[in-house]
Amino acid sequence: MPRPRVLAGVALALLLTGCSLNPASERPVPSASAPAETTAPTATKPPVPDVPIQGTENVPARLAVPPVRVSVPDAGIDVGIEPVGVLENGEMELPADTSIAGWYEYGPDPSSETGATILAAHVDSLVYGLGPFSRLRDLAAGAPVRVTSADGAVHDYAIQSIARVAKEEIVLDTVFDRTGPAHIVLMTCGGQFNYETGHYLDNILAIAVPAP
Amino acid sequence: MRTRLIAGTAAGCIAALGLIAAPAQAISPTTADLYVLHAVPATPVDVYVNGALTLDDFQPGDLAGPLDLPAGTYSVAITAATATDASAPVIGPIDLALAAGTSYTAVAHLSAAGAPTATLFTNDLARTAPGQGRLTVRHVAAAPSVDVLAGGAPVITALTNPNEAKLDLAAGTVSAAVAATGTTTPVLGPTDVAVQEGVNTILYAWGSLDDDTLAIAVQTIGGLHTPPTGVPAGEAGLAADNAPPAGFSGAWGGTALWGGTALLILAVLGGSIALARVRSAEEDH
Repeated sequence: MPRPRVLAGVALALLLTGCSLNPASERPVPSASAPAETTAPTATKPPVPDVPIQGTENVPARLAVPPVRVSVPDAGIDVGIEPVGVLENGEMELPADTSIAGWYEYGPDPSSETGATILAAHVDSLVYGLGPFSRLRDLAAGAPVRVTSADGAVHDYAIQSIARVAKEEIVLDTVFDRTGPAHIVLMTCGGQFNYETGHYLDNILAIAVPAP
Repeated sequence: MRTRLIAGTAAGCIAALGLIAAPAQAISPTTADLYVLHAVPATPVDVYVNGALTLDDFQPGDLAGPLDLPAGTYSVAITAATATDASAPVIGPIDLALAAGTSYTAVAHLSAAGAPTATLFTNDLARTAPGQGRLTVRHVAAAPSVDVLAGGAPVITALTNPNEAKLDLAAGTVSAAVAATGTTTPVLGPTDVAVQEGVNTILYAWGSLDDDTLAIAVQTIGGLHTPPTGVPAGEAGLAADNAPPAGFSGAWGGTALWGGTALLILAVLGGSIALARVRSAEEDH
């Protein structure tokens, strides 16, 4: 082999750690410093690193289990849920009726193992008036939240925190989380209202985690 | 007092959840992700990286990885599965130059003429628009130029071995088929392919047309999604901190006040909204 032995050793050690960013893993690294490939071949093969192998069959995607109803008794919220996506301009689509919440259908649902199930509703509307999500901001930590899914499963949560974040500052990448611990985020608008643009300046977020 | 409470809670919450923190990188800035696909029919192989046996008895149709490798050039040799070292490769050794922060799939496959070869593809991990997924098609089969049909219509034309084509499209199920260029009679498929939001679904057409071993292999790389650009969840100012103060700010939810509240808002907005809408609001609550 033309390559320096050291490089081979390093590469092998990295392969052995299986993608760890920290090569100094606790996993045993069998004779990484004794490269077998340059010594006389023997009848047996050298040890092989633990590389994940997967098939490449065309398997169907996991089907989401849409949530269909959310209730937050302390806020007088008990509303149906419709799946929603995004508008042409990239903003989240929301049911026009303030008494219907939208579930962001591209993200997690309550049966997902990770990430945020996003349920958002208009705080108010020129047609439907003030909506039940206007009371999210009054919730206290620990308030129970119940989400019922299309398969009949009931998911219970407890409010962890209420946040009001300026729309100019909010990082929706983090709010619309897909990989962290499973939780739900009830979202609406609040704060100051710009009467010229017809938009609120803040988003109100009620974050709820699975009830113990 | 209520406002102060919310503000205090929000500050703690933002810190705890990182709501205004930067998102994390998918791949380390100093390393590359390398996948290896075995797309030579009927021939188990061993794969050596820099002379070290890395994949033993690697089966056709299997995908290995990702290997998280420091950026650099790696020598890859593919031998018969019965070999005991890399001295007599059936493919290579080839040098793979891997750049940091980049995802690759090295494919052992047949050339258009049917000879074993290897190709390094770069996986497009650019983030997708909300609601969209990416479909990448790679021609690594012993077969001539092909078109890729979606729902019977060509969406990719004149794709040749060892090249790829890709497109972003709305998430959903695509009925995909592969036909010789200029024709619509599938040599592969049609088969339903899930194009998931924020996922690069990579289809490999592999095998040999002459040997009747054409097949589709699927690799998916997720985490490319972007969130909506905003959540516009209000339009009337009824819940605003700066709402007109005339005596109804503390009485939300009282049906009797609805009409008056809405009317006042309408006046603020210039009165251009039909009153019929206010009535529907009353019915709703």
